Amino acid sequence: MAKKPSVYLLWGQQRTNDRKTKRRGSNRVRGCGVSKAYCPKLQINRIKMKLYCLSGHPTLPCNVLKFKSTTIMLDCGLDTTSVLNFLPLPLVHSARLSKLPGWISKDGTVNLEKELKECAGRVFVDSQPEFCVPERELLDLSTIDVILISNYHCMMALPYITEHTGFTGTVYATEPTLQIGRLLMEELVNFMERVPKAQSATCWKNKEIQRILPGPLKDAVDVWIWKRCYSMQEVNSALSKVQLVGYSQKVELFGAVQVSPLSSGYSLGSSNWIIQSHHEKVSYVSGSSLLTTHPQPMDQSSLKNSDVLILTGLTQMPTANPDGMLGEFCSNLAMTIRAGGNVLVPCYSSGVIYDLLECLYQFIDSANLGTTPFYFISPVANSSLEFSQIFAEWLCHNKQSKVYLPEPPFPHAELIQTNKLKHYPSIHGDFSSEFRQPCVVFTGHPSLRFGDVVHFMELWGKSSLNTIIFTEPDFSYLDALAPYQPLAMKCVYCPIDTRLNFHQVSKLLKEVQPLHVVCPEHYTQPPATQSHRSDLMLELQPPPMPYRRCSVLNLPFRRRYERVYILPELANSLVPSEIKPGISVATVSAVLHSKDNKHTLQSIPKPPPVPPSKKRKRVMEEPPVTPAPKPLLSGAVPLEAFLTTLQKHGITEVKVEETADGHILHLQAEDTLIQLEEDGTHIVCDNNEPLRTTLRDLVLRFLQKL
Amino acid sequence: MDGECVSLLPGVCKVLADSGRSLPDDTSLEKLLDWFTGLSKTGGSLLESCPCLLEFISTVGSNTALDPGVLSFALRLAGLIAAREAGFTVLQERSVVDLVFNPQHWQDAGLWSDPCIRIGWIQGLQNMLQHPKALSFFVQSDLTQLLLQLQADTSLFVASAASQLLGHILLRFQPPPSSRREGTGETAEDHQGTSVEYAAVVVVISEYIQKSLSTEGSTQHRRSVQLLRLLALLLAQAGPPLRDTLLQAVGDALKELVAAGCSQLTLPLMDVILAAHSCGADKPDRHLSCLLSSMFSVNKPADLIQAAAAFLRRGLHDSDHSVWAVRILLLPLDIVTGRSLLGSKDLDEHRLSTAEELKIKNSCISLLCLCLTNTPHITLLPADLLPCPPGLIVTAVLALLSISSGQNSASSSPTATSCTEVSRNVIGSSKVQKCALEALAALSCCPGGKEKMNEVFTVLLQYLDSPDSDPTVLHKSYLALIKWMSLCTNLSFLTEQLRQDLLSVVRKRVCDVRWEVRDSTVEFVGKAAGVLTSPEEAPEGLPVSTAPLLKEALQDTESYVRASAIGALAQTQWHSWQQGAALTQQQTETVSRLLEILSQDTEGFARRAVVQYFISWFSAVSSHASPSSSISSYPSASLLMNSVRSVLSFGSADLDWEVKVHTLELARLLLDEAFLAEWGYRKSPDSYAGDSERTCRLHTHSRGVESDLAGVLTSLVELGVISALLSGLVDCDRPVALKACRLLIRLRDTVSWDSESQDASAAMATVTRVSCELPGWGWGQEIKKVLESKSSDWASKDCATALILSGADDGDSDQDGGDRMHAGVCEVLRSLGLDERLDILSQSSDHVHNSPLSLLQDILDASAAHTHPNTQPGQEVIVDCY
Repeated sequence: MAKKPSVYLLWGQQRTNDRKTKRRGSNRVRGCGVSKAYCPKLQINRIKMKLYCLSGHPTLPCNVLKFKSTTIMLDCGLDTTSVLNFLPLPLVHSARLSKLPGWISKDGTVNLEKELKECAGRVFVDSQPEFCVPERELLDLSTIDVILISNYHCMMALPYITEHTGFTGTVYATEPTLQIGRLLMEELVNFMERVPKAQSATCWKNKEIQRILPGPLKDAVDVWIWKRCYSMQEVNSALSKVQLVGYSQKVELFGAVQVSPLSSGYSLGSSNWIIQSHHEKVSYVSGSSLLTTHPQPMDQSSLKNSDVLILTGLTQMPTANPDGMLGEFCSNLAMTIRAGGNVLVPCYSSGVIYDLLECLYQFIDSANLGTTPFYFISPVANSSLEFSQIFAEWLCHNKQSKVYLPEPPFPHAELIQTNKLKHYPSIHGDFSSEFRQPCVVFTGHPSLRFGDVVHFMELWGKSSLNTIIFTEPDFSYLDALAPYQPLAMKCVYCPIDTRLNFHQVSKLLKEVQPLHVVCPEHYTQPPATQSHRSDLMLELQPPPMPYRRCSVLNLPFRRRYERVYILPELANSLVPSEIKPGISVATVSAVLHSKDNKHTLQSIPKPPPVPPSKKRKRVMEEPPVTPAPKPLLSGAVPLEAFLTTLQKHGITEVKVEETADGHILHLQAEDTLIQLEEDGTHIVCDNNEPLRTTLRDLVLRFLQKL
Repeated sequence: MDGECVSLLPGVCKVLADSGRSLPDDTSLEKLLDWFTGLSKTGGSLLESCPCLLEFISTVGSNTALDPGVLSFALRLAGLIAAREAGFTVLQERSVVDLVFNPQHWQDAGLWSDPCIRIGWIQGLQNMLQHPKALSFFVQSDLTQLLLQLQADTSLFVASAASQLLGHILLRFQPPPSSRREGTGETAEDHQGTSVEYAAVVVVISEYIQKSLSTEGSTQHRRSVQLLRLLALLLAQAGPPLRDTLLQAVGDALKELVAAGCSQLTLPLMDVILAAHSCGADKPDRHLSCLLSSMFSVNKPADLIQAAAAFLRRGLHDSDHSVWAVRILLLPLDIVTGRSLLGSKDLDEHRLSTAEELKIKNSCISLLCLCLTNTPHITLLPADLLPCPPGLIVTAVLALLSISSGQNSASSSPTATSCTEVSRNVIGSSKVQKCALEALAALSCCPGGKEKMNEVFTVLLQYLDSPDSDPTVLHKSYLALIKWMSLCTNLSFLTEQLRQDLLSVVRKRVCDVRWEVRDSTVEFVGKAAGVLTSPEEAPEGLPVSTAPLLKEALQDTESYVRASAIGALAQTQWHSWQQGAALTQQQTETVSRLLEILSQDTEGFARRAVVQYFISWFSAVSSHASPSSSISSYPSASLLMNSVRSVLSFGSADLDWEVKVHTLELARLLLDEAFLAEWGYRKSPDSYAGDSERTCRLHTHSRGVESDLAGVLTSLVELGVISALLSGLVDCDRPVALKACRLLIRLRDTVSWDSESQDASAAMATVTRVSCELPGWGWGQEIKKVLESKSSDWASKDCATALILSGADDGDSDQDGGDRMHAGVCEVLRSLGLDERLDILSQSSDHVHNSPLSLLQDILDASAAHTHPNTQPGQEVIVDCY
């Protein structure tokens, strides 16, 4: 019977958030391990949990959870939509872009000719594009213990957090997340560094000036915190802090909480996270998908019984069904090629592109596109295509089983082998000599502000035979196209977002039944453009707690219990007595030892043996220094039996009065009162100690002693 | 009856009456009974043609140790024999009727508990109860009570058969109206006797129905449904006296049932009420009107709308209730779309309950679908029955489609909040979408619909463009589009934008990932070309702009799409063919591509479509060519005729029987064309026409035309028509052989000569010189074999050799090693025994297997096998299992 005994110990003291006390410390206490019903009323300490929201973008989240003395950052998304305010960075000299007129206010008082250019009726910032990084002022980011990354799209701001904030913690992510995330960062750095721009525009950010700028620059928010892209060195340093984890692997954080990634089904290695202590469970759901695409399917059952579920990363296109969009993509592609035009697909170098290629692999023959070349141009194209084939354990079952066959999991390998798909690091070099039209080009960046895509926009934009098909949902395609207007090429918007939609998430939440749901405020109302679509919002009971950038939420969730271990020898010394069938109690005198958020009750060390001496002998006969604890009493005094007993002891004149809590017995002859109440018995008797003692003993006869 | 069958029947009866013998399978008795039923229906007396049956029934009836299946068979057979008065009398004289239809007899034998016996008894009675004597027997034997008890039988089949028998008795013996009685041969006494017994039965049965409905109406729904069905059947067919009696009996019970408002009984109750209502006098009965009104005031939206739909479907002239039913049916559409279709607020009570019901997803969808299905019918009702103009209903259906696609919200109305909740159930529901699209297609015929054309096109194009529309929804959208397009002959009524949108959506969908969508799109293009017949259709109009898409679709990986594309191409070119327009280079390329498909495509669908393409082309041209001008005057005649030659050659050698049948259809057109121009030959409307459709023989040939006949025949030979027909004749697929045979007979009859005529020999000489080539392999050899066998029948081998004019005349041997032969067409036609062959081919391929003779033989054989000493027990079971 080696079952480790445990008791519930109720705190009596507020814990501080000090790191030192968080990790070590000990206390000596005297407590009693009794069932709740017989427990004396102790002050229950309730520690609040807080969520700090550092990003306003629902699919590129960055939140910090303070939970049980740990500070956990959940994702580190980088909002890149800010780049839409900047001019594109052309790979080769563009006469059109270099001749754009500078912007001067109408009255001529503000001249920002060097910083802002007018292009196609809008004003753009002419400098290296900048990103909207997570909020850094809301809390001290150096106090963050760990960062949990859920997928490679949600880690792009990592260098901004780990490199210049004093961060000393660990980043947890799965291997594909780390590797593909690295590729995406590398690609981003490459895109920026390939076309260096010395100029840095800052004047327009001046509040007074920004106010008079035309939209959408006028309405851009938090422009002062926009940052230029990090360097490769910073990327490497940031990624060196990543510790790899596997699905369902449990990672202990200071003994206080355990975190564990679960498959979220969205992308290779994408995860949701469970953060739990012995008595509390928080689920973090970010970028999940229930569709059967290439990644491992979503683990839903482990999300059950959460106290709080933080829900982010739902689809950005709730009305666009991915299957339908994939169909649109294919038919528009075929239509353009048949008419002799080229197709440009601005995309990220990993993710949906694998599914697009797989779909095209099946579609090519049926649409008679067998001879059309497909080009994938990205500095990391080769690595991305290869990586996808080697992360077998992170793939869906269907693809995993192909590992045992000669064919690779993704069919793009065959497209490459048969020369239907060719990949190049950039438009320079081999590509320019092998380029054949009409063709299909997959290249980044989906914002159309940098990367090889800028070149193709300049090249193909003027012909109505060509088509640009947007598949990435992160950018408004109209804004992306703004600096290229007027544009003759056809534009097709087929955003493919496989993340959960509202229908799926409602079903999921019905199944996993969290007590509370926290989500971005966007999810609590229908999209602004479709206010009649009440089906495109979360409707829950109780309603979800919404957050926005810079919100600090007190989570509606209180910690009540803490687990305390009792060492075996101490447990052996306990003498439980049964107070009612099945429930035994025992008193415990012990030292409470707390270290790394683990609490252990240890036996009180015996005092060092005192050498026998005559002088001390008398002392030894005296009661010990620590008096034996008085027995604890339990039970109730039955009135009739007690009266009978009193009568036997010669007390006959008793007047019984019923009160709200019990009875008052008035012993008239003795002029003494006995108050029998539910939780106490009082004998009020003046100057008659023998009588009080007798009465006390009579009462005690009816009570159990521990 | 076949003599052979008559001779086998006694043996079969013996087998059946012998309890130890087994039957080939459990359907044998049913087949045998079907045969007897057929025989008795043809008018002959069963007892006269098969006297052994009397003995059989008497023996079997008293042998209760027999298999219940055989006993049940005997009961039904006895009924069949007794269905005629003569048979009844014979059976009664032998006391067979009293024995077999006496339930006590079966109860004593302990067999009544077997449902097989009970159902045999019921069906036997039903067979027998065709004349007054049988009814007298039924009444005098006091079988009515038992029959009523059987209505509640534990076996559903028995209960249902018993219910049918009740109906049969009441309807069969209704006193004929006085006008009908004359000439039926019934004497007044006869009828009097019957009517007394009949009246007694009617009273008993109506009391029974009334009592059962009142006691079981609210509890036993299954029984009530059965009773109501019986009642509906009776009321629909009953004459006035019976109907009045029944209605009087069940009136109160029906009222109670209606008031109980049980959902499961809504439809059966409506059937009863409507059956009574529709056969009543011009002015509806007051009680029935009350019942209907009660049905329409139940406050359960689902029941209410079902009742309303049932009422409208019946098409009764009851304007009060029609107005009400229309309002009920339109209510869900009114609520969901927020269009005030109903105007006034007299449906307030129902509006609330319906709005509540619509908030539940399943109910919402089923209510809306019922409503939508009925909208086309509603718009065709007289205007005074409608609460709004039909155009508004079209607008509401369009609004519903918009809501369902997530495009629009319901327009603001007092119930807007509930609308939001309801529209959530409708958004993305493909069931609602399909139903609404079907309704919209049917609404194209509604008065004033044409004004809504642009609105309709806008919504349909939204659906066609939406990435979320599933293939069935897209298909239905196309169908609706075609329906609406067919209201006009060109697209000029559409805005320029809509025309552009239509073109671009078609261009996109023809490249869809899903083959079903590509298929529907290609089909649409073809149908649209068929509908848009106006010459005003601009060059950039739909048919012209979509032709390249169809050509592209000929390369599709899916054979259905290729087939549809070929069909669509034919439809788009029909007008230019008819108008005799010169072929473009593109069309010439298409023709060679089609011939390539016919010769190489691995899928039958595409090849069938190619043959049909040429059928269409040829028909278009020949319908255009006037009787005086021939096809040769047509601009692309040579391309057409060369192609037809190839089609006949490839098509008749195809592996797919349908391709071959289509090829023969083309041959038929060629025959029609060839003889029509010269001879005033009557075109056959249907290639499968039987003897009656055979063309008249051309007895009116005059001297000089025989050489033309020879010329026509020669051209048919050269085109390959004769080869196609001959190869078809010996084809192993019956439909092919049958069609070829019919065409050959027509050809034979056309070219045959009245040998008695003076000019016969001279004319014969010219025509008989026309010969065709028979290959030395395959069908050529088959034909040769047929000719040889026929000539041996005639005991004149020389004749066969005479038919074959020459073999391998030029010394070339066929590729397969066989020698080619030439044969005189006329002689071949005469010598193939075509009429005999037609008789054989006209029978279904299993006619031998399914013949009564085969059945009788099977029964005898099975019994012989069973009693054979060498047969192991269980052996036949194994054979059966196999």
